[in-house]
Amino acid sequence: MRVQKIALLALVIAASWSGTAAAGDIFVICHAPVSLTAEEVKDVYYGDKGFAGAVKLVPADNTAQQAAFLEKVMKLDAKKYSGIWIKKAFRDGSAPPPVKATDAEALAYVKQTAGGCSYVAAAPGGDGIVVVAKF
Amino acid sequence: MSHQYPIPIRALALGLALSAASLPASADPVSDAKLDQLQQKLDRSLQMIEALSNRVKELETHPGASTAAVAPAAAPAAAVAAAGTPAPSLEAQRLDAVEQKVDQIETANATRQTDDSGLPMHGFADVGLGNRNPYYANLEGANIGSLDFYLNPKLGGKVVSLAELIFEVGPSGEVGTDLERFQVGYQFNDEATVWVGRFHTPYGYINTALHHGVWLADALRRPKFANFEDHGGVMPGHTVGVWLTGAKREFDGKFLYDFYAGNGQQIQEGIIDMQSGGNEHGAAMAGSRLSYQFTGGAVDGLTMGVNGFTDKVNSQQTANLTRLNMMGVYAVYDTDIWEHIIEAYSFHDTNINGPGGTNKSTAWFAQFAYRAPWGVPYVRFERADLDQRDLYFAEQQFGASYYRGGAGVRFDLNLKSAIKFEVAHTRTIDVRTQDLSFGLPVEYNEVLAQYAYRF
Repeated sequence: MRVQKIALLALVIAASWSGTAAAGDIFVICHAPVSLTAEEVKDVYYGDKGFAGAVKLVPADNTAQQAAFLEKVMKLDAKKYSGIWIKKAFRDGSAPPPVKATDAEALAYVKQTAGGCSYVAAAPGGDGIVVVAKF
Repeated sequence: MSHQYPIPIRALALGLALSAASLPASADPVSDAKLDQLQQKLDRSLQMIEALSNRVKELETHPGASTAAVAPAAAPAAAVAAAGTPAPSLEAQRLDAVEQKVDQIETANATRQTDDSGLPMHGFADVGLGNRNPYYANLEGANIGSLDFYLNPKLGGKVVSLAELIFEVGPSGEVGTDLERFQVGYQFNDEATVWVGRFHTPYGYINTALHHGVWLADALRRPKFANFEDHGGVMPGHTVGVWLTGAKREFDGKFLYDFYAGNGQQIQEGIIDMQSGGNEHGAAMAGSRLSYQFTGGAVDGLTMGVNGFTDKVNSQQTANLTRLNMMGVYAVYDTDIWEHIIEAYSFHDTNINGPGGTNKSTAWFAQFAYRAPWGVPYVRFERADLDQRDLYFAEQQFGASYYRGGAGVRFDLNLKSAIKFEVAHTRTIDVRTQDLSFGLPVEYNEVLAQYAYRF
């Protein structure tokens, strides 16, 4: 029982720590060796840029950080973002970015998907992932 | 007999007792031992918190390493065991099992691609009420618009595809089925995608931007002459062939281009048919559209372009054969606040069979919309001056010249549905026997309502 209480305390501490990070920077990450400029990141999530060199980009949204990403990077709200992708999908068959629920899922997706990109609250370490922009 | 002291006195005594028990100045060896014990417990608790915190961080940064999770997970258990407290083996095992499950779910979810998640299918539909059908003025009252299934199969890699299958009401009120779009494409890069199949002919703005699902458009309906072939349009809105399209970012915007070629159309019972299976005379149509889209600066949202095509159109019922040549310009100002669209077309058509000569016609519309927080009011003016000596227009059921002015408003009920209203006045300039026999009124007013949604 004591262990559970301590674990709960640790989780609360961890949650408050990650909550502080969510209110801070947004790190746009891609599967190495994709390279994008900050302006190109917007184009990718507008669906206007689908390639980085010869690599086809497959961006993913991250629910945990989406509100901050849309506000800081895209400068629009979720309704408009959704509307853009609905129209785009209907015009040219483009698929909206798949949605990941957490930073961990987004990291795993980018790490395992060639051309994959997403955004997280903390700069990740590890092979196979590059931070292409920080907002 | 016991003395009953007043409550404040009892509280004071209790406070003094508690204070004395917690005073660090006490030199009692028993108290020292207790303090040491408490200190040890606190240290162990802090170690436990640190171990768990590290574990959480590790899960955040290395979600896929489920096997690696065993070692750090054992640390708190060991710490607890070393402290002399019973190891929570059952709880730890359950916790490990849950962690592994979470890892598996996260990894599976993270690596799941839309490519292998089946066939994404979406759609649009609309119903309407009004004094007339919005597309066929000979029909009055309530109407169903279309049930539009939009299929977007993922073929993987650089191959893209889409299909649009529609059930809709035709000019005589019958429900028909049409494969409005069916195209497969290959994306070379951002600058070039080639499509093969049946697509919306790239001219103007709305023909490739708004498509069949009326929910997409702010207005209740398209301009009459620019509507689809079986909804009052007089232009070949669909082409079966090959389409090369792309964009190149330059300056404060993008150059957009479209080049296409396909089967020459045929007029069947007064309606343009795009000859989805190929045509009988082997003639082709070819065209292009060149545009520039501003994506920054004072005119962010403005797109301007020119377009044109040449087409050889024959008739299923007669020997009419027309060389259709169209040139057009367009501009659209599409922002969060405004949606203004202007399209203008000029036709220089030559009758190849029958009465010869080249005939000139024009058609244009201008629509202005304001995207207010509460809705989208709009006004539109449209005009088609179609030379009836041109066999291409003369044979078409909707080929008469006309004026139309209208105003409307769109209210979004939620993210997936909208209700629109429009009032309009239409005056037909060319009074043709075929129109009268079909029941088309020469001049009429319309009051229309439409409920449109997507799913």
